[in-house]
Amino acid sequence: MATETRPEYNVVGKRETRVEGPGKVTGSAIYAADVQVPNMLHCKLVHSPHPHARIVSIDIAKALAIDGVAQVVLAEDFSKVVKDGSNPAIGASNRGSALLAHGQVGFAGEPVVAVLAETPSAAEEGAEAVEVTYEELPAVLDLEAAMQDDSPLARPPLGDVDRSEEEAHVTLDVDADEAEGKATNIASHVAFTRGDIDAGFTESDVVVERKWRSAPMHQGYIEPHATVADYNAASGELTVWTSTQGQFMVRDTIMRILQWPETKLRVIGCELGGGFGGKMTLTSPLVSALSVIAQRPVKLVLTRAEDLMAATPSPGAMVTIKTGMKKDGSFTAIEASVAYDSGAYPGAPAAIGALLSASFYTWPNLKTDGFEVLTNHVSVGAIRAPGTHNAMHAVEQNIDEMARQLELDPGDVRMKNVSRTGDPMASGQEFTAIGLDETLAKALEHPLWQNREQIAAESTETKKVGIGLAIGGWLGGLQPAAAEVMLNNDGTINAVSGANDISGTNTSFTQIIAEELNLPMDQVSITTGDTKTAPFAGMSAGSKTLFTVGRALREAAIDLREQLFEVAAERLEANPNDLELADGEVKVKGSPDQSLELSRIASMTTGFGALYKPVVGKGSIAARKQAPGFTAQLARVEVDMETGNVRLQDFAIVQDVGFAINPLSVEGQMEGGAVQGMGIGLWEEYIYDDSGHMRNAGLLDYRMPTAADVPDIESIIVEVPSEDGPYGARGVGEPSITAGGAAIQNAIADAIGARVTHMPATPERVLRAMGKLGDADAAGGD
Amino acid sequence: MAKQVFTLNVNGRDHELFTEPNQSLLEVVRDELRLTGAKEGCGTGDCGACTMVVDGETITACLMLAPDAAGREIETIEGLADGEQLHPLQQAFIDHGSVQCGFCIPGMILAGVALLERNPNPTRDEIRVGIAGNLCRCTGYRKIVEAIESVAGA
Repeated sequence: MATETRPEYNVVGKRETRVEGPGKVTGSAIYAADVQVPNMLHCKLVHSPHPHARIVSIDIAKALAIDGVAQVVLAEDFSKVVKDGSNPAIGASNRGSALLAHGQVGFAGEPVVAVLAETPSAAEEGAEAVEVTYEELPAVLDLEAAMQDDSPLARPPLGDVDRSEEEAHVTLDVDADEAEGKATNIASHVAFTRGDIDAGFTESDVVVERKWRSAPMHQGYIEPHATVADYNAASGELTVWTSTQGQFMVRDTIMRILQWPETKLRVIGCELGGGFGGKMTLTSPLVSALSVIAQRPVKLVLTRAEDLMAATPSPGAMVTIKTGMKKDGSFTAIEASVAYDSGAYPGAPAAIGALLSASFYTWPNLKTDGFEVLTNHVSVGAIRAPGTHNAMHAVEQNIDEMARQLELDPGDVRMKNVSRTGDPMASGQEFTAIGLDETLAKALEHPLWQNREQIAAESTETKKVGIGLAIGGWLGGLQPAAAEVMLNNDGTINAVSGANDISGTNTSFTQIIAEELNLPMDQVSITTGDTKTAPFAGMSAGSKTLFTVGRALREAAIDLREQLFEVAAERLEANPNDLELADGEVKVKGSPDQSLELSRIASMTTGFGALYKPVVGKGSIAARKQAPGFTAQLARVEVDMETGNVRLQDFAIVQDVGFAINPLSVEGQMEGGAVQGMGIGLWEEYIYDDSGHMRNAGLLDYRMPTAADVPDIESIIVEVPSEDGPYGARGVGEPSITAGGAAIQNAIADAIGARVTHMPATPERVLRAMGKLGDADAAGGD
Repeated sequence: MAKQVFTLNVNGRDHELFTEPNQSLLEVVRDELRLTGAKEGCGTGDCGACTMVVDGETITACLMLAPDAAGREIETIEGLADGEQLHPLQQAFIDHGSVQCGFCIPGMILAGVALLERNPNPTRDEIRVGIAGNLCRCTGYRKIVEAIESVAGA
C-alpha cells in the first residue's frame, strides 16, 4: 500500500493553513460584487415570466423615462458590439451565447432585457417598467414525455452546439450523437455496449429493474453571480472583474462571442464565493457587451432569486436501470438509461451518465444510454462531478436491492465487483492506477458498518435506525497549464499562476514550491494573475487544478532550482550535481563553507551590470492521463415512522486522494462535498408548479443543509498514488459529492424496509414509500 | 425617493450619510462606506452572510433599513481585529481550516462571537444551533464548529 512507501517530505503532506486566510477572516478579500468602478452603471435584468413563449413586442419607453435610467438594451442591440455585425443572441444554441433572449424564451426566468441605470434602485424601477408582450407556447415540462418522438419541441432545432464549458469538467474520449434528422428534444445521446446483456440477465439469479428520479438542484454557492465590465472606448480595452472558476475560459468566451481581440481584453477572476461547477461564464459576456454598448462600466449582481431561477443549476434525472447478479455475488449485466433534464439549452452531461453508470463496477455485459433532454425548465450547467450523483443514486440502490433479495452482504457484493486498476470502463478505456478497492475496504472496516446490526437494534416502534453504504467517484479532468516562479532580490520567491483558487490550491501550490526549493512556506508567495499577466491555466473545475497546475508549478520550481545551480556552480567552481538547496542557500554537498545565499544570486542576476540572467523558472505541462478518485460513504439515519422525517445521525467519508498535499484542505473538500451529498439526499430540489414556475426560489424554501441539520463528519483519507499527479496526488474536489445521496437512500431503506424512488427523500416521499400515503410508486412531488 | 441625512456609528466611528431612506444597512455600509466585508448572499435574511452586530445583537443587515440603525452601535467584521492582532476567533478560523471560499465567513465569525458572548461554554450542539442561521456551502460546518469550540471559555 502506498502509505507504507510514502517518501518523507518537508512541506507537502503537512497540514497548512490557508495563505489567503487573513484577508477572508477580516473581510478585506475582494469578491466581484465588492468591485466599484468610477462612473459605473448598474444593471437589472428583466426575466421572462413564461416557460415558453414568443416575444411579441417590447416597450421600453416607460423605463427610459425613469429618473436615473441610462439605457435599456435588447438582444437586437448586440450586433452593434460584435465586430462583423453578427448577433450571437440570434439562434443561440447554447446558454453562454444567448446573452439576452431573442424572438422567444425557453424558460421562466430567461433574461430578456437589460436596464442600465445610475443606481441599483433606478435600475430596478426601470426593469419593472419595461413592458414585454408574450404569446405563450406549449411548455415541455415532463422529462419522460419530452423524450417521446411526438412531444412538442421545447425550443427551435439547434445548430452546432458549443460544448466547451461542459468539456472543461471531465475529459471524456467519447463522441455524442448530436440530434440529426427529425427534430426532437434529445439534444445528445451517448451509448455504450459490451457483451450480450440478454445472456447476462438469463444467467442471473436475481434481476432488479427500477426507475429512479433525482431532483434538479442548485450548486448552492453563497455568492450570487457578479460581474463588472469596464470598456474604455479610447483604448478599446475591455476589463472584466467576475466571479468565475476559470478566467481564461471567460476571456476566450468573450473573445468568441463578441469577436473581441484578446490583446484588448483583461479578465480578472476575483476571490470566488463558491462555484461548485456553476461559476463559469454566465454573466460576463453579457455585461461585457453592455459596457461596450453603454461606453461606461457596468455592474451586474444577480439576486438570490435570479440566481436560483436563471443561473445554471444541476439537472434532475430519470434513471431506468436493470441489473443482474449471480448467487455468488458476481455481477452479470446492466442496462441503464440515464436521462437528464437539460432545460432550455444543452448543458446536461449525457456522456457522464452513460459512462459512469457502468464503470465503477466490472460488468461483463452492459448497455447504457445517456440522454440530454431539452425542456422548458431553466437551462442547466455543471455541478461538482456533474451527473454522477444522479447515476450513483440508481446504481447503488439497485445493488443493495439485489444483495437483499439474495441475502448477501451488500458490502461484500460491492467488494467482489468494484473496478480495479486496468479494468475497463463502460467505454472500454482502461482505468489507470486507482484505489477504489482500498477505499471500499476502509469503509467496510468502519464501526458504522461493522456494528450495523447492533445499531439497528437501537430502533424503536416509532424511530427506526438504518445504515447505508454507497460508493462514488470521478474520473478527473485534463487540461494543459503553465506557471512561473521567480527569485526575488531578498532571496524569497514569488510565483504567478492563472488558476482561480477555489479550494485552497494557492496554499498547496506554495507548499509545492517550498518543497522543491527546500524553503519555509513564508519565503514563498503566490499570486493569481489575470489573463494578461499570468501564463495560461485551465479552469478550476473537474478536480484538476492541483493535478495539472500543481505540476506546472513544480516544474517551474525545479527549473528555477536548476538556474540557481547553474549560477552557483560557476561561482563556487563546483559541479551542479554536487549542489543542494538548504536554508536559503545553494551549498556544495559535504562542504558547508562553500555556499551562496539566494539573495546573493539574486543580486548577481538582477543588479546593474550583473553578469547572469535573471532567475525565472517556467513550467508548462500537458496532462494526458487521468487519475480517477473514488469514495465510499456511510450514513446512519433515524426515520420517524409517523412523520417520515429523516434525521442524519452519523456520517463517514472515505476517499482516495492519491497523496494529500495539504490534509487540512483535503478534509475540507471531503466534508464540504459530503454535506452537499446530504442536501441531495434529503432536502435540496427545485420544486416547479404545473405551469413550469419555480415555487421555492429563495434560501428559506430551497433547503440547503445548516449546521444544525448535519452531524460531525468523519473523514478518512486513503492514499493510493496516481501515476502522473504531483507527489501522486489525484483530484479531490469532486468525488466527495457523488455517494452521499445514495448512501442516505440505502440507509433509509435499511431502516424502513422500503425504497424511496425519488431523491431527495422528503418526509412525504418516505411516508409514500412505506405505503402510508397511498400508492408507493407514485413517489410524489414531481 | 427623497434622500435623507443621517449618521451611522460603525466600528466606533460616526459617518454622516445622505442616501435614499429605503436602502438597507447592508447596501449603505457596502456601497457608501465601502466596508465590503459583509456580503449579500440572499437579500432575504436567510443566509446570514450580511450579519452585523447592532447594539450587541446580531442582525441580518440586508433586512434593516439604514436610517433605522442611526444612533445605534454597529459592528462589522472590519471592526473585529485590533490592528495586526486578529480576534481569537478569526485566528481560530484560520488555524482550524474553517475558511474555504470565505464568502460566509465574516457573517459566520460575527455569529460565533455573539454566540460565545451569550454562552461562553457552548456544547457542540449549541454551537451548531447558534450558527444555524449562517449558511456555509464549502466546509460541511465541522471545522467551523471546532474553531468556535476551541476559543470557548477563553
